[in-house]
Amino acid sequence: MSTAFEKVAAVRRGSRRAAATPRPNFLYILPAALFFGFFALLPLVLVVALSFTTWTGIGDPEAAGMENWSRLFSDEKVLAATRTTLFLTVLSWATQTPLSLLLGVWAAGRQRNRAVLSAVFFLPLLLSSAAIALMFHRFLDPNFGLAADLGPLIGFEDGNIIGTRGGALAAIVFVVGWQFVPFHTLIYQAAARNIPAVLYDAATIDGAGRWQAFRRITLPQLRNTVVTSSTLMIVGSLTFFETILLLTNGGPGIATHVLPFLMYRAGFEGYEFGYAATIATLLVVVGTTLSLLIVRFSGFAKMRSTLEGL
Amino acid sequence: MTASMPRRRFLTLAGGGAAFALFGATGCGGEDAADGEFSVWVLQDENVNPVSQASLDRYNGAAEVKGVLQPEVNTGYRDKVHISIGTGQRPDVFFNWGGGSIRTYAREGLLEDLTPHLDGDPAFKNAFLPSVLDAGKIDGKFFGIPMRTMQPVHMFYNTKVFGEVGVEIPETWTQFLDVCEKLKSAGITPVALAGAQSWTELMWIEYLVERIGGAQVFADIAAGTAGAWQNPAIARAIDTTRSLVDSGVFGTNFAAVEWEGGAVQQVFSSGKAAMHLMGSWEYTTQLGSAPEFARDDLAWGPFPVIEDGAGAPDAVVGNPTNYFSVTKDSAHKDAAIAYLKQEMASEAYVDGLIAIGDVPAVADITDRLSGAGNPEFAAFVYDLVAKAPSFQLSWDQAVERELASPMLDAISQVFLGELDAAGFVKANEDAAA
Amino acid sequence: MSTGARGRPNWLAGALTAVWLIVIAVPILSMISWSLQSQQDLLDHGPLAPPSSITFENFAAVMDMGFGRYMRNTLIVTGAGIALTLLLAIPAAYAVVRSRSLLASASFRVFLLGLAIPAQAVIIPVYLIITRMGLNDTLAAVILPTVAFNLPLVVLILSGSLRDISGELYDAMTVDGAGALRMLVSLVLPLSRGSITTVSVFVGLGAWNSFIFPLIFLHSPEKKVLTLGLQSFRQEFGINLPGMMMGVLLSALPVFVLYLFARRWLVAGLAGVGGK
Repeated sequence: MSTAFEKVAAVRRGSRRAAATPRPNFLYILPAALFFGFFALLPLVLVVALSFTTWTGIGDPEAAGMENWSRLFSDEKVLAATRTTLFLTVLSWATQTPLSLLLGVWAAGRQRNRAVLSAVFFLPLLLSSAAIALMFHRFLDPNFGLAADLGPLIGFEDGNIIGTRGGALAAIVFVVGWQFVPFHTLIYQAAARNIPAVLYDAATIDGAGRWQAFRRITLPQLRNTVVTSSTLMIVGSLTFFETILLLTNGGPGIATHVLPFLMYRAGFEGYEFGYAATIATLLVVVGTTLSLLIVRFSGFAKMRSTLEGL
Repeated sequence: MTASMPRRRFLTLAGGGAAFALFGATGCGGEDAADGEFSVWVLQDENVNPVSQASLDRYNGAAEVKGVLQPEVNTGYRDKVHISIGTGQRPDVFFNWGGGSIRTYAREGLLEDLTPHLDGDPAFKNAFLPSVLDAGKIDGKFFGIPMRTMQPVHMFYNTKVFGEVGVEIPETWTQFLDVCEKLKSAGITPVALAGAQSWTELMWIEYLVERIGGAQVFADIAAGTAGAWQNPAIARAIDTTRSLVDSGVFGTNFAAVEWEGGAVQQVFSSGKAAMHLMGSWEYTTQLGSAPEFARDDLAWGPFPVIEDGAGAPDAVVGNPTNYFSVTKDSAHKDAAIAYLKQEMASEAYVDGLIAIGDVPAVADITDRLSGAGNPEFAAFVYDLVAKAPSFQLSWDQAVERELASPMLDAISQVFLGELDAAGFVKANEDAAA
Repeated sequence: MSTGARGRPNWLAGALTAVWLIVIAVPILSMISWSLQSQQDLLDHGPLAPPSSITFENFAAVMDMGFGRYMRNTLIVTGAGIALTLLLAIPAAYAVVRSRSLLASASFRVFLLGLAIPAQAVIIPVYLIITRMGLNDTLAAVILPTVAFNLPLVVLILSGSLRDISGELYDAMTVDGAGALRMLVSLVLPLSRGSITTVSVFVGLGAWNSFIFPLIFLHSPEKKVLTLGLQSFRQEFGINLPGMMMGVLLSALPVFVLYLFARRWLVAGLAGVGGK
């Protein structure tokens, strides 16, 4: 490295013009672009195309016109699943955000006990979604799991949490929160540590209490982080699918059917790949709209600066 | 710098692994039987596979075209069949569950119609129990030869609980309801139900419809007859189910009880519940997980008879058996069929199955079942099916594949009290529309 | 932070963290305690009681059921996923920052667009492509799409850090007669070690935990990865709850070791996505 720095010095000192610096040509990005195009963009095009076909997985897809789409719009389960998807997304966001914000700000303190506890709070991140869902699935058994002992404490006399509509939805929000709050806490912790201490010193001199300092300094300073974390939460809420598949399998009844679940079932259990692609297209539209809305409401520039500041 | 060495080596190793996986992919298609051999796809099962292999060994001895057993894993087997049957790598003979699992292939002309082979050889046809052979029919034609145990659904009882409460095993619906009341008063859940899986709930609907309306009710539904769901027997079965649920026959937390993982078996064997409606495999499961209970306190019997019902009192539902089907384009079709004819009802094959605890769907084997490890239970299962005028294949297997999930959803909603009879009928009709 | 009222106890924060500690610790401690006791012990003493005697029979059972094979497959998917992602993304990010080619900037815009594609929404066509390629039931079927859906974010993060490399350094190498490739190898690579670590951890964790692609592509037990293995444990263990929990515990062990010895990298890799 030292030679490179010497050269820089040489370039700066000397008045002689440096020759045109060689730059990478498009070949450097081509493999990545092709790869991405083939496995991500092509599927995006195909998913829309497939939505106008019927395909059982045997032979080739056959053109079906608007058949799948008219079915989609009259399918009450799709409507219900869309509602459930949005409900779970909003509820998860509304519980995870204040929790991770408060925990993150608290964990940003440099005290020893906070460091130790933060290390404990981090532990769920070491488990995969599948492991977490399967673990809680066992805990929620009404006869032999934790639900049998702890259920009565929270109003489920017979331990029947996951077999009731409200209980199953709450269980999903809880399990997803258990898994992801640590991650968002981490984001808030990092951001809170970057708030200049001098701001708080000034506030203390002004006689501001803890709450006022939090409201006037911490919250506004974390505004961009809230946006980033919320985006990740909302877009990531599509990954509820794994948790739902393993925790409730859509039940009880149709209470926890979400869009990806319907799509998976139509395709890989019903072999109706055309209809599954139609649901998938709806999913792409919902997902993209959500992301764009967040970006619009929060300001794209801020979003980009957070990402580019990495 | 010290840290980068092992990491780089790690990445190289991992990269090599990926190349290996990619390489392995190309070799994957080559497992098929070579020319001059026919492939027999079965599920990987350490008990059955040797019996199947022995049957192939017997056949291959004298045969020019020999059969090769190809065991496949259970998970993904349907997908594997589905994918390969649409390509050139299809098997010659393959294991299946009959009904909806092969209906599409049969209708698309991908499977050999076995009707002429059975009709042309009455001895072979009569070697099987007619109700089981018929259960494998699609659009009036035979596409499968029974090849394994029969798995009817029937009642199981915890006799210890029955003794403690002082009730008798019910034979009629009135007796059943009476027993339920007495069990409830004693603080025991009358019936264990793994309501987290809706196919366990389906068993109740199947039997209620069968007992109330007879076998034709569902036969019409499976055939896709217009208005079949409107049959009053369906409405009455749903109403009956709802009143069972409402009166607490299944307890309060059944919707959270799992079958997968054995929670429900434990609810039953531990005496938290006194009865269980399940496939005959429950016996083996209990023998494995609660051997003392299975030996001393487990009893079984047919589903109670509904006194004013139109159904035959002896009719059964469940999984008649598994079948072997032959693909139509198989180059070695004749050899494959010859193998099935020679072996599937042969004494050696049947004895082999009995020895591993199976109850084959073969006629007149009552005395041979004494050689089973569990002769009493095997004889019960065999008699149950042998005297049954009809054996209804589980609905979720029998209907068109894409109709199964909506139907199971609707059943689960009935048990949750979210759908009444009219709603249940509408949900199923909407799905078929 | 918290300079505001240093010294005064913060009861609200105390209560919140105490509750959260219970929420986090009870499931984890139960999981560990279940996995170290026998099924009978668990049934006799209930789910919350500590084991009356510690047993390792569950460990043996999990190992017998092919845990090692699942782990090996997961390691292959993770390692190959990281390697392939870096192989594609580093030159791409380099081109994004340094290339004047229109194609490079157009590709970058496409990558940005790709950030919004949810991988789950396109599993049907990915399934079509992979099966037509004859890759069904191979680890490659999982690796290839996983890498593809990682590329946008990884290129974005890497190009962000590459922008910090001063142009003068490139100019200096030019004087040395270096071409574009040598600049990548001896300038860009060493200077972006930090962000390469970050994205490696991020991609690695994603591949380690991946479930959807394995679920639809991997069927035979020899090909299954850990997450799927856990799913089949649920069936295979039957009523053996402790066995299942031992599987969960063991599946976290490698990441736990990473956490113990390379906590900074792991945290950076995770937080890297959310911004520092």
